[in-house]
Amino acid sequence: MKLKFILTLCVLSLAACSDDFVDVESNDENSENFFNSEADYQSALIGAYDMLQSSYLNVMVGEIASNNTLAGGESATDVIGIQQIDNMIHTPENQQLRDIWSWMFAGVNRANYIMEFQDKTEFQNKPNVIGQTRFLRAYYYFELVKWFGDVPLSIDQRIFFGDQSTIDRAPKAEVYALIEQDLIFAANNLPYTQADTGRATKGAAEALLGKAYLYQGKFQEAAQVLDGLINNGPHNLQSDFTTLFENDNENNIESVFEVQYSDLEGAGFDCLQCSEGNVAVGFSGPRNFNGPLFEAGFSFNVPTQETYDAFDENDIRRDFSILNIEAFAIENQDYNNGAGVSWTEGFEHTGFFNRKYIPRQGDSNIGDQNLTNPNNYRSIRFSDVLLMAAEAHSNATGNEGLALQYLNLVRNRAGLESVTLSGNALTQAIYLERRLELVGEGHHFFDLVRTGRAAGQIEGFVTGKHELFPIPEIEIQLTGNRWAQNPGY
Amino acid sequence: MRRLYLLLITSCFLSVGFAQTITVNGVVLDSGTGTPLLGASVVQKGTLNGVTTDFDGNFSIEDLVQGDKLIVSYVGFISQEVSVTGDATISISLEEDIATLDEIVVIGYGTQRKKEITGAVAVVTAETIEELKPVRVEQALQGQVSGVQITSQSGSPGSALDIRIRGISTNGDNRPLILVDGNVIEDLSVLNPSDIENINVLKDATAGIYGVRAANGVILITTKTGRKNTPLTFDYEAYGGFQETTRRLPTLNATEYGLLVNEAFAANGDPIVFNNISNLGQGTDWQDEVFSKAPIFSTSLTVRGGTKKSTYSGGASLLTQDGIVGGDKANFTRYTVRGNFNTEFFDKLKFKSSLIYTGTKRKTLQENGIGSVLYNALNMDPTLGTTGNNNGFSRAENLPIEVINPLAQIENTFNETTVNKISGVFGLSYKPLKNITAEVNYQWNYAEVKALFYTPLADFGVQGIADKVFDRLDVNSYVEDERLFRDYTFDAFVTYEESFNDIHNLTATAGMSVFKSTGDFYINTGFNLPDLPFEDLSLDDAETVQNNFINRSNRIFDSRLLSYFGRVQYNYKGKYLLSAVIRRDGSTNFAPENKFGVFPSVSVGWVASDESFLEDNSAIDFLKVRGSYGIIGNDRIDAFLFTSLLNGEGVYVINDELDFGTAIGVISNPDIKWEEQKTLDIGVDTRFLNNKLNVEIDYFSRETKDLLLVVQTSGITGSTAPGSGNPTANAGTVRNKGLEFSMGYRDKLSDEFSFSANYNFTTLDNEVIKVNNGIGFEQGGGFSIGQGFPARMEEGFPLGYFYGYETNGLFQTQDEATNAPTQIELGANARAGDIRFVDQNGDGVIDSDDKTYIGDPIPDVTMGINLSFDYKGFDFQTYFFASIGNEIVRNYERNDRFTNRTVSYLDRWTGPGTSNTFPRVTTGATSNLVFSDFYVEDGSFVRAQNMQLGYTLKEKTLDRFGLSKLRVYVSVSNVFTLTKYGGYDPTVSTGAPIGGGFDQGLYPNPRTYLLGVNMKF
Repeated sequence: MKLKFILTLCVLSLAACSDDFVDVESNDENSENFFNSEADYQSALIGAYDMLQSSYLNVMVGEIASNNTLAGGESATDVIGIQQIDNMIHTPENQQLRDIWSWMFAGVNRANYIMEFQDKTEFQNKPNVIGQTRFLRAYYYFELVKWFGDVPLSIDQRIFFGDQSTIDRAPKAEVYALIEQDLIFAANNLPYTQADTGRATKGAAEALLGKAYLYQGKFQEAAQVLDGLINNGPHNLQSDFTTLFENDNENNIESVFEVQYSDLEGAGFDCLQCSEGNVAVGFSGPRNFNGPLFEAGFSFNVPTQETYDAFDENDIRRDFSILNIEAFAIENQDYNNGAGVSWTEGFEHTGFFNRKYIPRQGDSNIGDQNLTNPNNYRSIRFSDVLLMAAEAHSNATGNEGLALQYLNLVRNRAGLESVTLSGNALTQAIYLERRLELVGEGHHFFDLVRTGRAAGQIEGFVTGKHELFPIPEIEIQLTGNRWAQNPGY
Repeated sequence: MRRLYLLLITSCFLSVGFAQTITVNGVVLDSGTGTPLLGASVVQKGTLNGVTTDFDGNFSIEDLVQGDKLIVSYVGFISQEVSVTGDATISISLEEDIATLDEIVVIGYGTQRKKEITGAVAVVTAETIEELKPVRVEQALQGQVSGVQITSQSGSPGSALDIRIRGISTNGDNRPLILVDGNVIEDLSVLNPSDIENINVLKDATAGIYGVRAANGVILITTKTGRKNTPLTFDYEAYGGFQETTRRLPTLNATEYGLLVNEAFAANGDPIVFNNISNLGQGTDWQDEVFSKAPIFSTSLTVRGGTKKSTYSGGASLLTQDGIVGGDKANFTRYTVRGNFNTEFFDKLKFKSSLIYTGTKRKTLQENGIGSVLYNALNMDPTLGTTGNNNGFSRAENLPIEVINPLAQIENTFNETTVNKISGVFGLSYKPLKNITAEVNYQWNYAEVKALFYTPLADFGVQGIADKVFDRLDVNSYVEDERLFRDYTFDAFVTYEESFNDIHNLTATAGMSVFKSTGDFYINTGFNLPDLPFEDLSLDDAETVQNNFINRSNRIFDSRLLSYFGRVQYNYKGKYLLSAVIRRDGSTNFAPENKFGVFPSVSVGWVASDESFLEDNSAIDFLKVRGSYGIIGNDRIDAFLFTSLLNGEGVYVINDELDFGTAIGVISNPDIKWEEQKTLDIGVDTRFLNNKLNVEIDYFSRETKDLLLVVQTSGITGSTAPGSGNPTANAGTVRNKGLEFSMGYRDKLSDEFSFSANYNFTTLDNEVIKVNNGIGFEQGGGFSIGQGFPARMEEGFPLGYFYGYETNGLFQTQDEATNAPTQIELGANARAGDIRFVDQNGDGVIDSDDKTYIGDPIPDVTMGINLSFDYKGFDFQTYFFASIGNEIVRNYERNDRFTNRTVSYLDRWTGPGTSNTFPRVTTGATSNLVFSDFYVEDGSFVRAQNMQLGYTLKEKTLDRFGLSKLRVYVSVSNVFTLTKYGGYDPTVSTGAPIGGGFDQGLYPNPRTYLLGVNMKF
């Protein structure tokens, strides 16, 4: 008996004793063992697309940085980082800038994860998958280079924890070189029309490539690639501007690339980047609004009187780009049995709201409803492509006739007369048209900067400093202070 | 009936057949009171021949011869040896054992006499628990044990309490290891306090025998078992009563509110809101509306007893408690059923087993945060009535989107969390030789935690559409969150005990332990459900159901430990004591090359009072000096952090549908390794005045290095992506040092009057020595809305200190404001009546570089005092605890132009010289709302936690009813609190290491009035 018991004890001990007992694999897939089928690649690609949705912040803050809109919100301290950018008093300590930095790099990392394993498994559809992947990587890097200039560059491999203390900021030119290579590959390997709505196409790659050229002043190359898209691509202007930004008019013929949002999943303030909705939309809605068509929001990103007045009275775009709340109230005074339209005034109330991206009625209002608006962001519209091509031609190719033709296509759709201009007057007219056509879409600040006009237009803008946003201070500290700050900060 | 039952049991276990010689009859009495002792044990020395005394203390023992020795023993009394002289009837009076030095203390894989213990161990007994009537076990430690700090995360029924032994050392997991009968229990809410026999707290490095997880201290809980040779006894307890809030914050009434709103609007040049103040009156007191008296009821029955070879006990209990906010919408109900059975199969083979079932049901309201019920009650407009057209409730007109009618909020809150848990312990111990014992124990837990949340359609909005964050206008939703937890621990060890000539005493233990714990989570959200009562809802009725675990495993963790340990205890004549422990632990939480760690500790003691030069000293009854030093490893981090997994969130919209892709989860760090904690403890245990007074003093210094911290990391790693997160790294050093003092005095002044007093205090000095993450600090917490992190873990400061602006009064004139360093960076230029911030770096600009230390949530000293008196049948106990030197941030004010305020603002600045503390009110932009020491308050307090008066009925009266004891009592807990803190309850904290101490309208602990009864029969 005694012996038996001691034996049992020993056996029990020995059985459990082996050190393997503490070698456990997670039931979740290990990132090193993935990419064994096309499905794996497709699944990781969806992950890479996901970060596009977080670029709502780039759009909203980019617009507020320009002279188109004011920060607004509830008070002077409501999201202080945004208020500071509006006033051009932002510092390297700015949570929103860090969010943009981090979220875009998260996108880069997710695309690079696929690229790191691009050779692991072969399948027929691979050029399309890698084409989309490289489009996304270019999209994220383009945002980073626009906002921050020189940024750490990682090609075909993830940036791991610890790498921050060895990686350097690559010169802008290197970043643009990668963007160009990625987009040329994407344009060569993607179709103009994808089977699924929402995926990057050849047209999207060409348009973004044209834009990247334009930002570098490579007008010849820009004109060439954009002309190709205009002539060969499936896109066209939608004749009716007034419904262009309504939710039932998403992914229309004018959309060259659209960031897809949805109201099918809830979201919370603790993870804005996790929302499947367009967070900027809820932030931009009229405060405590009660009336037809629209829903309430946080009254950020409010257009100024000057912006509103920049439109011609007859410009169809004016009142469908900017909501004039007083006028809207008068039009709808019979609403709700005569109660009319009501709202409350937020900080820096101007009476105007960014109508392209404020909440519409009719979505699911799943909680938090301010964060789950399904409005897709029309990232690259065909009118943008036309105006970029016009700008490229007016600047460099000497083909002013084509530039005028493109410009007038956009003007005519807005209900405006054609113009006949040349030289600098033409260039200036294209600049103005870009501002009006694309107001509220987050482009204007960067257009002003790249054309050297920001200092005259944006109050507080300091030449030599504000062309770039500061690298978040904490990001520099976390590298062990290896990176230099952008000039002036 | 009972005797029949007893007979049945005894006949099962007793063996019969001894030659009859003498029979001794006798009675066992308490020498102090002269009352008979029931259940005292009388055993013939060196044999199994023994009996227990009956209700009148009588016994009768047979089969004796002259010269035999009888051992008479009773728990809490000094055993006596009596010779059989032939006297047929003897009376034995036992002395109460005040010294309790022979008390056996559980120390981990063994027990030790208290006298010989070399570590810092504190004990809480069943009597203390009985006196305190805690609803939760943790409350029995509050203020009772030096070095142990208990804070409640909330006063709502069923909410958790945080136990911190000797301070906090990490911004991660600071929980001690809790073992109930050797079984790891993470959540003490499942235990019925009256099932507890005693609680031992191991505070220093000697806890290292438990290795991993002992780094934050160890709490050993032993549940009640029967005693051998005792009759079947029943303990019945019941209490009931009600709870109420101890405080309502003084908020403005409607008239005062109207005047202040008007003043704020006028200050900014806006038209005033209330043109006719005179008809506003008192308005609605929203706190009166949400607070109510709430019932509490508890009942439990324990049975226990023992035969010659076996002991058994069992019990069942029920607790149900409503909330002082929300009533039955905050109900907590707990049922427990447990049993244990220990027996000796053979002389040398012992078996023990226990089984506990616990079921809890809990409902909760939004708590502690912006949008919580109390936050809303404090900030709601008092001019609004409670009723209106939102399903009968008024809407929160004009108020910020997160402030809603708290009554409507309560009405629209539907949730229930059900826990079903079964825990078991089985153990065998075998003694093949006189000095060798082998023991195996198998402990396991299985828990199902199911939470249901229903969010119905509701409209709290301002004027009907889409305003409030809580509004649900088109789609209702229903979440079913089910989590299964399984774990087991298997221990096997051998103990060798030898005594050489009663001089050299040696105990050696060697063994191993394996632990495995898994968690499987299933979370589904349904949308668009039919309009049914909460109880009838089901995911099956939802229009669409979303699975939260698409493309990731439901098995969230599989954590295992493999440990080998050895301990040698040696003493020379019980006077010079030595104990050394070594333990090798392997953990699944680290990469293969870092899995194993070896952790030693050593402790020594000297019982000076046994030395000849003190032996005859009449003043000192006992004096022991002890010291310990050791290293304990800690692996308490989430599973699989060393490897990069695809459990992130990658969801995009393709073809207007959600497409669930794959993404990397939390950023991995393959280099993480064991955190090491080095603890030094030096202590003195003394007893004076015939053991009536005891004093224990400990000095400790605990340094934790290679702290496992979730560190900030560069955004270029993708750490902010959905489903990702910051990596964990060994990135810091924290030191806690302090002094613990406890003393107790008990005395019996006469046969009818006795009293005892205990007092303890602990000082704590917490300092972060190093944070090597690149930036020298970690940050967390939240203040107001949209402001940066207000709390930090930073080198040279206490962990979690408040980081904000120092203030220096108010600007009394516009000139003062204009000439001061500009405050525009904080949001607005200062005006007269605004807060003046201190320019720490003297650069003429107030900006984020001027943020500084403005307080911390760690108390300098905590203390507790217990008093108890017994007079005739009456007993009275009271106990106080206190915390000194901690700060709390007032963060329950929304400070919107239409939200209500506390009456402090009646003393606001209204012109030069009117106030230097409370700034002007205005609807314009100011910097007054930026986090500064204006919002930091002294959180020190003294609380009278419990007062209880009981009466125990005389035995003679009881006999008629077949009772052996009947005590009735009334008690009040949370009687009063002395504090300067202006919020509800200074004892409540979220417990977050970084971000604790911020009060966003924390649910206060209730004051509870109870009437109760204890019965034994």
